[in-house]
Amino acid sequence: MSIAAETKAQVAEIGDKYKYGFVTDIEMEMAPRGLSEGTVRYISAKKGEPEWMLEWRLAAFKRWGAMKEPNWARVHYPRIDYQNSYYYAAPKNTPLKQSLDEVDPKLLETYKKLGIPLQEQMALAGVAVDAVFDSVSVATTFKAKLNEAGVIFCPISEAIRDYPDLVKKYLGTVVPVTDNFFATLNSAVFSDGTFVYVPKGVRCPMELSTYFRINASETGQFERTLIVADEGSYVSYLEGCTAPKRDENQLHAAVVELVALDNAEIKYSTVQNWYPGDENGLGGIFNFVTKRGDCRGKKSKISWTQVETGSAITWKYPSCILRGDESVGEFYSIAIANNYQQADTGTKMIHLGANTRSRIISKGISAGKAQNTYRGLVSIYGKAKNARNYTQCDSLLIGGDCGAHTVPYIESRNPTARIEHEATTSKIAEDQLFYCLARGIPQDEAVSLIVNGFCKEVLQQLPMEFAVEAQKLVGISLEGSVG
Amino acid sequence: MTLVLPSTIEARKAEAATIFGSHGVPTRRVEEWKYSDLKVALGEAGIGTDQALWQVDTLPDGVEMFDLSRNGAPDWVQKHFATAGRNIMGTASLTLSDGGVALRIAKGAKISRPLKLTFQGNGHVRGLLVLEDGASLTLVESVGIADFRNVGFEIVLGEGASLEHVRISQQSADAVLVEEASLCIAAGARYCAHFVGFGSKLSRMELEIALEGEGAQAHLSGVSVLDGKRHSDVTTHVIHRHGNTASTQLFKHVAGGNARAVYQGKVTVAKGADGSDSHQSAKALLLSENAEADLKPELEIFADDVKCAHGAAVGDLDAESLFYLRARGIPEAEARGLLLQAFLEDAVAEIVNIDQRELVRTELLTALKRVA
Repeated sequence: MSIAAETKAQVAEIGDKYKYGFVTDIEMEMAPRGLSEGTVRYISAKKGEPEWMLEWRLAAFKRWGAMKEPNWARVHYPRIDYQNSYYYAAPKNTPLKQSLDEVDPKLLETYKKLGIPLQEQMALAGVAVDAVFDSVSVATTFKAKLNEAGVIFCPISEAIRDYPDLVKKYLGTVVPVTDNFFATLNSAVFSDGTFVYVPKGVRCPMELSTYFRINASETGQFERTLIVADEGSYVSYLEGCTAPKRDENQLHAAVVELVALDNAEIKYSTVQNWYPGDENGLGGIFNFVTKRGDCRGKKSKISWTQVETGSAITWKYPSCILRGDESVGEFYSIAIANNYQQADTGTKMIHLGANTRSRIISKGISAGKAQNTYRGLVSIYGKAKNARNYTQCDSLLIGGDCGAHTVPYIESRNPTARIEHEATTSKIAEDQLFYCLARGIPQDEAVSLIVNGFCKEVLQQLPMEFAVEAQKLVGISLEGSVG
Repeated sequence: MTLVLPSTIEARKAEAATIFGSHGVPTRRVEEWKYSDLKVALGEAGIGTDQALWQVDTLPDGVEMFDLSRNGAPDWVQKHFATAGRNIMGTASLTLSDGGVALRIAKGAKISRPLKLTFQGNGHVRGLLVLEDGASLTLVESVGIADFRNVGFEIVLGEGASLEHVRISQQSADAVLVEEASLCIAAGARYCAHFVGFGSKLSRMELEIALEGEGAQAHLSGVSVLDGKRHSDVTTHVIHRHGNTASTQLFKHVAGGNARAVYQGKVTVAKGADGSDSHQSAKALLLSENAEADLKPELEIFADDVKCAHGAAVGDLDAESLFYLRARGIPEAEARGLLLQAFLEDAVAEIVNIDQRELVRTELLTALKRVA
């Protein structure tokens, strides 16, 4: 059998291995199919939102109608019919619970399959979980401990109700309503998400974590996350994703906004493992996300770490606006695309303040027939005296049918700024593979080892809990990709 | 992706006209023209329909020349004219130009004396240079001052042919100069190009290079020294269509005043072009508060057995080096000049023709005095 045929066979074999491909049978409450002003009003009413929020949504919806879907990214997908989708789905009978015992046992079962040991986490991991099941947050733990520290960690719908001043002050200030097609759509129809506020001088006592999960068939998820770190505070936030197997493409257009004030630091880590579609490119999630952090204060710091292994299409550019003097932006990324996956991801570092620094480490891995693009911008404005940037983006190709692309933009308007950019492209060397095989390490494990070595610099940035999961994911995502 | 081309020149021109008609004059909304807004630079005058001129200084022996404005184009012109490249301004010159020059070096001919070609005057003009199998030539291209000129240049290298292309563009405050060169490089052929630019209101040199056969090579280097409000844009696209091909790019920019230096370099490795080797390096030094450098080294790779790397850096002169020289009694201005020269030198050293290399060094010295 030729190597290509052999690979094909192997890939077909593992096709069913997506272990998170299941659907939980829970009654859903849905908005009518399609998108209109009525849908926006329906969602707002369901959420019991105040008038100003509804106005905000409606303004976004009006604006969205006049916008065009962007087509500059290197991704190809059938036209999305925005009128043939549900924009709101909430599990029925799940008002906010005080403790886990009140939660629908079926839901808990789902989490178990997902490997989120809620109860265990409470006792062991010390991680507060605000689990989003489809669009409504159903269980929030560790409230008490966070309360003590004064940290607000709640569903954004709750924040709109309970902390309207904070939300009003920051929502839409990093990603404006008019920012881009998908962000505007999100602004109109976002169903839920997370709000975090860390008060002045507080170091958040634990890693905050939210598991997003897409469940109901054909419902796009429009999460909205807003994290505000007040002066001198610190917070680390983990986001992990899995989704059940579905043939119909599902749209996910989230918006994440981070605000770091003077001396504050936000660390945002993502492991994204949504359904990538089957080995023939059928199904899978469309992941069109707008993530942006604003280092608004002096000496603030925002650090993005992402491990992107899932989704049929990824369109995602977590960025930093380095506004405050001496602020720091970081972007560490691993993007793995296998089979027919397409990823177009990267970052923007906008240096506005003096002595700002940024660092970009991107590792792209392509296998099968996948296309993987790094697209990044480093822009130094005239006032960004002594700004520094270092960028490294490496690509690894596995097989001759995939593509790896690098599109960096470097713009400097200040003579004292220093920017360095390096990129390389390589493949898994035969001798590396042979070395491992000769020592009795099976092929898949060898590939996993080599790739994990390639990604090491990024994996090191992840919090411990995630690093373990991420390393496994890197291996699983590439199983059978070397013939 | 190979273009299926109509067989006659007229039909190819008609096709180009359709393409140009659908795009129009590029603005910064067009991704490839993001850093060079041609429409704004031209203002109300637009691109017009004037015919620019060309001039060849004493034709070296063994070079055949044909004036494209005349009837009865020989077979080699029929075969190659308007076959390569379909970028926007290239299609504009095909649409709007009636004339130009076609040059041919016959199979195996080695031309030792450089061929000197100048494009001048306002408007559009075409050039075609064909080196048949095994031929070799040094082409020295001069850029005459004009309000606006758009040159469309096609270069065809047959198997094992070798061309060294040196292009020097003098500084001019008001000129809008665009040149789009498309190249087809056959197996074993080698193209070396050196671009020296001192900037103008808008100056753009765009290259589209297809490496079509085993062992084809393209080596590009360039320097630009800009001051005042000058702009210089070098945009390249090297396509490795065949395996075991090589390309290198080395570009150095020095920008002072309100100048803007742009480098956009794209390298594509087509599916199956295993063994492709490409290296890209772009560096810029900014000497003033208002100067700007925009670099975009892009890779597009569809094959796995390749070696591709690119690097880019922007900064100012190294303070420690400057201190080192000053500590040895060299006045600051002179020390800066030396460091700038050193910065540009490795790109200049790539020029093989000694006369041209020395000429470029002299011109750079003058320009550096103006800038530093």
